[in-house]
Amino acid sequence: MSKPSDLIHGTLDLLILNTISLEPQHGWAIAKRIQQVSNEVLQVSQGALYPALHRLEQQGWIRSEWRVTEGGKDAKFYTLTRAGRTQLKKELAQWERLSNAVGLVIRLARETA
Amino acid sequence: MYLRRLVDVSLLRLRSLFRRARVERDLDRELAFHFEQQVQENLAKGMPHGEALTASQRSLGGFAQIHQEECRDMRQTNRLESIWNDLRYAVRTLLRTPGFTIVIVLTLALSIGANSAIFSVIEGVLLRPLPYAQPDRIVRIFFNSDTFAKFPLNPWDLRDFRTRNRTFDSLAGIVRADMQLSGAGDPVMLQAFRVTSGYFRVLGFSPARGREFTTSDEIPAQARQALLSDRLWRNRFASDPAILGRSILLNAQPYTVVGVMPPGVQHPGNDYHAVADGDTVDLWLPFPYDGNSTQRGSHFMEGIGRLKPGISPEQGNADLSAVLTQLAHENTGKDWRVFLVPLYREMVGRSQRMLLVLLGAVGVLLLIACVNAANLLLAKSSARVREIAVCSALGAARGRIVRQLLTESLAIAFGAAALGTVFAVAGVRALVACLPAGFPRASEIRLDSAVFAFTLLVAIVTGLLFGLVPALTASRTDLQQSLREGGRGATGSGRQLRLRNFLVVGETALACVLLIAAGLMLHSFVNLLQADPGFRPQHVLTASLSLPSEHYRTAAQIAQFHEHLIASLQSLPGAQSAGVGSDLPWTGYDENYGGFGVEGRPPEFSRKTTARYHVASLDYFRAMGIPLLGGRFFTAHDDKDTPAVILINETMARRYWPGEDAVGKRITYSDKPQEKDWVRIVGVVGDVKDRPDSSGAEPAFWWPLAQMPFPFGDMSVAVRSNSDPAPLANQLRLAVRQLDPGLAIANLRLMDQIADASVSSQRFALYLVGLFAALALLLATIGIYGVIAYSVNQRMHEFGMRMALGARSWDLVRLIMGQGLTLCLAGAAIGLLCAAGLSRMLGSLLYGVGRLDPVTFAAVALLAVTTTALACYLPARRATTADPMHSLRSE
Repeated sequence: MSKPSDLIHGTLDLLILNTISLEPQHGWAIAKRIQQVSNEVLQVSQGALYPALHRLEQQGWIRSEWRVTEGGKDAKFYTLTRAGRTQLKKELAQWERLSNAVGLVIRLARETA
Repeated sequence: MYLRRLVDVSLLRLRSLFRRARVERDLDRELAFHFEQQVQENLAKGMPHGEALTASQRSLGGFAQIHQEECRDMRQTNRLESIWNDLRYAVRTLLRTPGFTIVIVLTLALSIGANSAIFSVIEGVLLRPLPYAQPDRIVRIFFNSDTFAKFPLNPWDLRDFRTRNRTFDSLAGIVRADMQLSGAGDPVMLQAFRVTSGYFRVLGFSPARGREFTTSDEIPAQARQALLSDRLWRNRFASDPAILGRSILLNAQPYTVVGVMPPGVQHPGNDYHAVADGDTVDLWLPFPYDGNSTQRGSHFMEGIGRLKPGISPEQGNADLSAVLTQLAHENTGKDWRVFLVPLYREMVGRSQRMLLVLLGAVGVLLLIACVNAANLLLAKSSARVREIAVCSALGAARGRIVRQLLTESLAIAFGAAALGTVFAVAGVRALVACLPAGFPRASEIRLDSAVFAFTLLVAIVTGLLFGLVPALTASRTDLQQSLREGGRGATGSGRQLRLRNFLVVGETALACVLLIAAGLMLHSFVNLLQADPGFRPQHVLTASLSLPSEHYRTAAQIAQFHEHLIASLQSLPGAQSAGVGSDLPWTGYDENYGGFGVEGRPPEFSRKTTARYHVASLDYFRAMGIPLLGGRFFTAHDDKDTPAVILINETMARRYWPGEDAVGKRITYSDKPQEKDWVRIVGVVGDVKDRPDSSGAEPAFWWPLAQMPFPFGDMSVAVRSNSDPAPLANQLRLAVRQLDPGLAIANLRLMDQIADASVSSQRFALYLVGLFAALALLLATIGIYGVIAYSVNQRMHEFGMRMALGARSWDLVRLIMGQGLTLCLAGAAIGLLCAAGLSRMLGSLLYGVGRLDPVTFAAVALLAVTTTALACYLPARRATTADPMHSLRSE
């Protein structure tokens, strides 16, 4: 399924938190949104998405409630909690650091090559 | 925010755990929604409907189930849930073998219940703080000397202590002074104390109404005042709000009520004319100081004091000792020393050892029950080898299996604790009902939250204790081998059997320790019952009479009353002899010691001569069955007009006239005796000890009734009859009423009952330890039986072969008996060695028995061997039924 690029381990949480930071979303929408925004590069498998959502909920970062979608169906919407917002900031900063570091290393390797 | 998150998270966990169905349904709905969206999308892409469905299924993965499981994992409730599942599985497993479960739960419940019951006694008596404010600052104040371990104070000494000490917040003295209340309902005898001012400050109570006594109430002319207990005020005075200042009649004299104490004032207990501790006193009166403060020979007051904060009892002792040294210079004092005892030690010290021994015994019992349970579980787990092997083959980690098995043992332990609590409720009731007379703080014994917490703790500890070894052993089974053997359960039997042997040896050793303790106590008790009490308690009716000083002012009046009473008692049909005396054996003595000079000895000799003084009528000794060892009893001629005479006891004769005949010798109570001051010893009577287990008697002498030197208002009556003396009780009452209708008879008891009560504490300890030891023996026997029966089952094939090779039944029986006896003897040897070391702890509970009493040790060893032989008999019988043909065929 998600052959092109498996998510880098640990980044799924970040993506989910980031995606619902704007507005509450249900699982399907979250997956779709990640897919669209990344230009179909990032594919979130259901097998990874729902366990991650449940884990985040259990940790208190997000909260869920049943709402009616625009299409008139019941869906479980996930909202960021205040604790989750703090957590998101933390993870973003960490990601920033990590990607900068990776970029640096790669650039350095190119230049020396 | 952190807190908010914590609450959220906990709520979610609880929801996941308890609303599982709901949560699962939500998950299904959520995944269904996702699936539907996928289908919609596929349809939108233009796929035909059927294909859209399949594609969606594919993309969701046929793994919906697994996703769900992962989601469940993420909910982190698996741990809790699986504990719940483990528990259900455990209970189901246990119910599959009800016999096993009943035995194991019942034995554990008995010992857990026994532990809880004994702990509740210990908690109430030893652990709970005394019912006073800062109880550790309260001390009891006594004297002691080279001759007396503990002695009451003289009131004047106490008064000087009160004014001159520097280490006490307050210090007071109390003297028992029961009063007859009349004019408020039926006349009634009240338990009362005369107390010096400051007594309630020592205990930390203040009157609910009115005031405490002040020092001015100690002036004899103003001492007619009374403080009522709340109970007395409610029951006898109908909670009269205007009680203060009201006059009440006590011993026919008017007293003014100056205060009412709040409910639940706790009497701290006292030593002489003792009243049990607790809410036991009805009335307090001021102690009147009259007489001459230089005459300090008479000691009858008990001291109690509250130390200043931060002052130790030792410092208080040093302080009062300094005061006593000053006093010794001012007044001719005896060689007294101050003896301070912390109130806690004074109240419960005597019961402490017995309670700790009981706790030890019951703890050992619990340990045995644990070992026994471990043993049974081991036996069972060897039957479950296959089940466990299948579990591990399916991928269960070793830790998981251990956890499952531990859950089982904890389930057993909690079941046992629940049942044990029921036993404990009954046990505590029975214990309190059987407590020896005068047991301290008996009213505070109850099952409370502390006891339940203790029971819970015991359950957890025992569950782990007896579960861990079998669980570890079982989980270590060799997978391949046990599967290959098709679960015949023979695997690992070597190692397991060794472990079980070890457990049985331990169990037997522990049981032997308890049996030795019980045996030593039993032997002591037999010694105690067989010891010559110095009198004959059979067929004697006793009672006490208190002649009020208002009507019986002089010694002559008192003597006359009792002479009339004796005359009428002696004429009763069935009465053999009747007498009165100032006290009865084994009912306590208030340490009334008198000093005296001995004729023909230097004054230094007389400085140290003391003896207890009593009064006795002519036939008192005959009625009590106290033998005459030399000289004569009193006669009717020993009266006011004839020379003064006394009877002395054997100890007094030996101590002060060693190697001589004391009869005919003379003593005097006067420092400068005239001829009339000399008193002649006319006879020596046998010793009567204070208590059955006292090491010896104190020196004592008796004045004849007609010659008592000062009025003895309180006397005891003793009537010996030819047969059962109980029917005489009514006639005794009648005789007293005829002489004085206003007199109340108290303590109407048979001397047998008094003798019986005097060994009640030893009997109590003996019965309990004996009960625990019997249970221990039973458990150890079950243990031995279990091991032998198991090994016989394992070896039936071998026995068959042996028989085929010519072994006779007897050989097999001998083989199995030998195996059991080896275990038993090893256990007994270890147990007897441990017991030899531990028996020191029994200390004062033993009487006339050595710590290594050979009779007890031999008897216990014999008992252990006999029970083992019995336990081995059934398995041995079974072994002889082994079928040689069967064994041969299967070979």
